[in-house]
Amino acid sequence: MKRFKSMVVAGFAVLMATAYALTAVPAHAESSAALSITPKKNYTIEAGKSVKDKLVIRNLDAKIPLVLSLRVVDFTFNDDGGTPKLMLAQDAPQTTWSLKPFLTVPETVTIAPNSTESLDLGVAIPKGHGAGSYYSAIVYSAGSSDGGNVGLSASGVTLVFTSIPGKVNENLTLQNFGAYNLATANKKNGYMFVATDMPQALAYTLKNAGNVTESPVGSITLKDMFGHEQEIDDVNPNKSLALIGQTRTFTACIKLKDQKAQFNGGTIQSTECAAPGLWPGLYTATLDIFYGQNGNSTKEIVNVAHFWYLPWWFIFLITAILAVVGYYVWRIVRRIKYGRPGPRTKAARRK
Amino acid sequence: MRFHAFMFSWRHMLSEEGFALLLVLFVFAAPVSAAMRFQERGLYMNSSVPGATTSYTVSWRFMSPQVVGSVDMLFCQDPIPYHPCVTPAGLNVSNAALSHESGETGFSILSKSTNHIVLTRLPSMITSGSSSYTFDNIVNPTDTSQAFSIRLRSHGSTDATGAQIDFGSVRGEVTDGVVLETQVPPMLIFCVAQEVEDNCTSTNENYYTDMGQLSSKSTLTAQSQMAVGTNASGGFAITANGIPMSAGTSVIDSPTTPTESVQGSNQFGINLVANNSPTVGGNPEGVWANAVAAPDYSIPNHYKYVSGDVIAYSPNVSLMKKFTVSYIVNSNENLRAGVYTTTITYIASGRF
Repeated sequence: MKRFKSMVVAGFAVLMATAYALTAVPAHAESSAALSITPKKNYTIEAGKSVKDKLVIRNLDAKIPLVLSLRVVDFTFNDDGGTPKLMLAQDAPQTTWSLKPFLTVPETVTIAPNSTESLDLGVAIPKGHGAGSYYSAIVYSAGSSDGGNVGLSASGVTLVFTSIPGKVNENLTLQNFGAYNLATANKKNGYMFVATDMPQALAYTLKNAGNVTESPVGSITLKDMFGHEQEIDDVNPNKSLALIGQTRTFTACIKLKDQKAQFNGGTIQSTECAAPGLWPGLYTATLDIFYGQNGNSTKEIVNVAHFWYLPWWFIFLITAILAVVGYYVWRIVRRIKYGRPGPRTKAARRK
Repeated sequence: MRFHAFMFSWRHMLSEEGFALLLVLFVFAAPVSAAMRFQERGLYMNSSVPGATTSYTVSWRFMSPQVVGSVDMLFCQDPIPYHPCVTPAGLNVSNAALSHESGETGFSILSKSTNHIVLTRLPSMITSGSSSYTFDNIVNPTDTSQAFSIRLRSHGSTDATGAQIDFGSVRGEVTDGVVLETQVPPMLIFCVAQEVEDNCTSTNENYYTDMGQLSSKSTLTAQSQMAVGTNASGGFAITANGIPMSAGTSVIDSPTTPTESVQGSNQFGINLVANNSPTVGGNPEGVWANAVAAPDYSIPNHYKYVSGDVIAYSPNVSLMKKFTVSYIVNSNENLRAGVYTTTITYIASGRF
């Protein structure tokens, strides 16, 4: 009996020790949080037709499977840029441009470590559906963690745009155009009329009051005070879109700097703005852009803007020159008036 | 006195009558010689499949009430008339046939080449304005990545020479039902963990942090990392989502503008740069400069948290970039006791 008792106590002790050891080890999440997805899909589908496509997702983690739940949500714009504002709330109202009713994707997927899966994606537009642009987003959510004060979770998003051809309402109006200060980590973006730093980009802001997304094309001609011209051939190099109802700012570099690098097995090319080598002075920019869907009118927007480039060194130089000129003018005036330079003395005044 | 009277009258002649004469010249003389833009311009492509042989209907309204004998149609990538014309890849209009015309009629094709058609007719006065012309046997361009244009010019001559009367461009685009996968398909790579490798090939597989015991006399800190990169031309954006730290209904406030860490206040915030008050975090790591932390989240020793905010982005393609997120929590001595937790979901998306 004594032996049995000691065995039970020993067993309980082992059980407790095991339980303690298990809680002491960090509980790893059940899903990886490292993924590769397709960021954007574009389709043109006539009413009554459908498209079958594949969504390629890769689990980059070499040890843990990637467990994803997929959900289609609507999105709109955040500001005048190209960042989508996802409508993640379960009770978010459906937008008028929602693709949700026509888009089908699986609800969940598990991808083995270091593997790729191709998921079926379908877009079916009902017969007789009106022409226009429709868009929604597919959100891939990896499982969240348990434990700790701050848990981390990663999600990826594919934006899906579909254009249904036909007669559409296209209406872009120009809101602003001119030299543009690009955002950096410590500087916010915005238009400028007088620039002390050399402007590297021009921008134009368009309000889209139509029922389709718009991607304008065209050019900008930049002319200095002496008539020297520079041409920006592509005013929308990233094929950016103005969403329905959005006031969108499109930027174009005055001079491009190409960078090439290896990215995930292929070569990518980035086009950054480079210093365009402008001289101080007044500049005139002429915008000429076009937009219009197939079968609809091609519309054109033409506008002219001016800006000054006045770097601080130039302002100091001009100030110094003016001071020197002013000083010599003053001396000459004094000489003419009193026969000698300098301030009037008592003796001079008595004369 | 007589001289003064003479000068007075001339001075007024020069200023007022002269100005009026100039105005008359501008109003009546300028429009006669100035070319005008065609209005109501449009292009309908019967098929927009790349490389397909199809028909195009081009329409416009003649604006100048003048004699027109020809119309020049030049197919280029760029719509601007004074830019060099680059023929859209794959396009061929050398077999085009004019199958239908309305409005201003009587035209036939005088000449045609790969990207150029000249319409001609007996010179006659514009009467009906709105016109459309359908051409069969046109081979579509093959490049879906950019639009193309037809530059239009009307002339009084029958061979599209001499001064132009009206001008303008129409725009077209070929599209596939499904996006063509190019050599390297667009992809967005993203990973999150307490520690990640630059290229997301491995993480330390830890997705939470214990920050310790809340106290009004100290600031609790933690950090996590995320790496991101894309070859998509639109770039990427990362948002942080989730409610601030809470225990039941008790929520620790988070500043909505970048704010310094203040011990003894209820405060939960994050940023994406190296800090020394308190010492936590690290600056973004990566070769290319186009992926950046959002301005509000890149001020050292200033913290903010608003659910849904963009915390990092790139306006165009970006090599892999690693961001370190710093978390700080301060608490007031009156904060309700409890275990305060949050789950921050980082969402990486492409841009449009």
